[in-house]
Amino acid sequence: MAVLRKDINELLTQTGPGTPMGELFRQYWIPALLAEELPEDDCPPVRVKLLSERMVAFRDSEGRYGLVDEFCAHRGASLWFGRNEGSGLRCPYHGWKYDVTGQCVEVPSEADNSSFCRNVQLTAYPLVKIGDVLWTHMGDAATRPPLPDFEWVHVPAEQTYTSKRWQQCNWLQAFEGGIDSSHVTFLHSGGLKTDPLFKGAKGNEYNLNDTKPFFEVADSEGGLFVGARRNAEEGRYYWRITPWVMPSFTMVPPRGDHPVHGHFWVPIDDENCWTYSFDYHPVRPLTETERQAMIDGHGVHSKNIPGTYRPMANMDNDYLIDREAQKRGETYSGVAGIAMQDASLQESMGPIVDRSKERLVPADSGIIKARQKLRKAVIALRDQGVTPPGVDPEHHRVRSAAVVLPQAESFLDSCRDAVKVNPGVAQTSV
Amino acid sequence: MYLSESARAASASESRFRIDVPIAPARAARVVALDERAVGVARRLAGRPWAHARFYTPGEIREGEGLLHELDGATLPLDEVLTGTDVVVVLATEDGGRAAAAEIGRICRRRGITTAGVILGDGYEADDATAALRPYARVLLLSADEGDAFELLTALRV
Repeated sequence: MAVLRKDINELLTQTGPGTPMGELFRQYWIPALLAEELPEDDCPPVRVKLLSERMVAFRDSEGRYGLVDEFCAHRGASLWFGRNEGSGLRCPYHGWKYDVTGQCVEVPSEADNSSFCRNVQLTAYPLVKIGDVLWTHMGDAATRPPLPDFEWVHVPAEQTYTSKRWQQCNWLQAFEGGIDSSHVTFLHSGGLKTDPLFKGAKGNEYNLNDTKPFFEVADSEGGLFVGARRNAEEGRYYWRITPWVMPSFTMVPPRGDHPVHGHFWVPIDDENCWTYSFDYHPVRPLTETERQAMIDGHGVHSKNIPGTYRPMANMDNDYLIDREAQKRGETYSGVAGIAMQDASLQESMGPIVDRSKERLVPADSGIIKARQKLRKAVIALRDQGVTPPGVDPEHHRVRSAAVVLPQAESFLDSCRDAVKVNPGVAQTSV
Repeated sequence: MYLSESARAASASESRFRIDVPIAPARAARVVALDERAVGVARRLAGRPWAHARFYTPGEIREGEGLLHELDGATLPLDEVLTGTDVVVVLATEDGGRAAAAEIGRICRRRGITTAGVILGDGYEADDATAALRPYARVLLLSADEGDAFELLTALRV
């Protein structure tokens, strides 16, 4: 029996318009671009491709954000070449102009009092700034959920930092890395000792001393909690608790007083995705050193080619693999940086990995359960219109946690408060 | 255009050249249902086609020895059932089987057999069974969904 049948793999990996998983993604508010990409009113528009739909984002003269079909309704020219002026985006070909809702507001070739343009409307989606991210909802406006309520975008600006990078593979294989806690001890072992955003935590010692973690996977309202357990002092376990909120939000368990980090994976098309990576501290500003480390691509972030969101280490340069650094023990795989260590291996699987060829082990139960949960949600939405987990903003109010507990204690029972957002209270960390 | 080794190897076109041979089931699994509701789940699972999965309920087990019952009632020594086994999946829905869970876990650890636990239910009916398994089970799946047991066994190719 195949681990994951071809038809189910396709069900979970295809997110274009009209696909069941595409419809699932369209139930959620998802990151569309970083706010820094539209830094001021009337700034240049930005091409955006999400869920296999090509669009252009712009910020008009009044500071309103728009996300509209990339192509002019007239002759199909790209509005990326548009002039962003006078509260709208004007196609430079023949001057047709659109507002942030996609409504055509001017067709210069028509008579001055013509109503023609009122009947021309580009497909458009809302674009809302929350934190450092511009969010969109690409589904039915009639069932649009309340805005997202993740803690990382709601803390004050000085407490948070978000980056993004282009990942050249399907969203699912990138996301699955986020709930696969057992790879950390191997792939990221170098970073635990040296990365400025990781090193120094007591928890790292437990991580490095016990390379065979045990796992507990439990349902949550919005997705899952994956607990990875390693031996600590006599009679105690070190637990790292990773929340997953559907469809593709995960948080990495914290280390010491370092900022907390996590990811949101968003399909660009079926063979590419955006990895949004964030760090925040619930109760204090990020230090200058921390923020600079994030900008420099440490922790979960990547150093990108200036002016782009493509990592400097990418498949076109073999991820700058350094076999000597690998031999010296500085990195486990020879690839530098947590982000690109993950991306290099996930991209090496090919654009869409054939999951029927996998040989999974019990330690992969988080991934097994997540696929099952996604599949059930997709089918329930498609066949019965059931709203999937993770749409309700209440489900967004989760945290990751790292704790040392007596061996007899359940991480779920002991950490009920630790895995909930508690404004003004620091993360639970070791 | 020159492509790096990694870029070329990761392309969709290169995926066509991956060696494609059938993957034989590699694990011999023993599924032990600890309580009555778990036995119901095991019976439904046993009705599916598995290559190397067998299903049991615990008889008397203590101090590393004991008996397991097949779902049709036949009784076998635990030692015989575990010989050649590389994964034991324990199903529980309540606390009745906690002693057996702990003993099976201990025996499996001693014999180098990976143990997994699927704890089914919405509430806390199986807290003690979960605690008894915790030291031994490589993974505990705490779930309201009976389908998870099937998905786990399928993923393990048993």
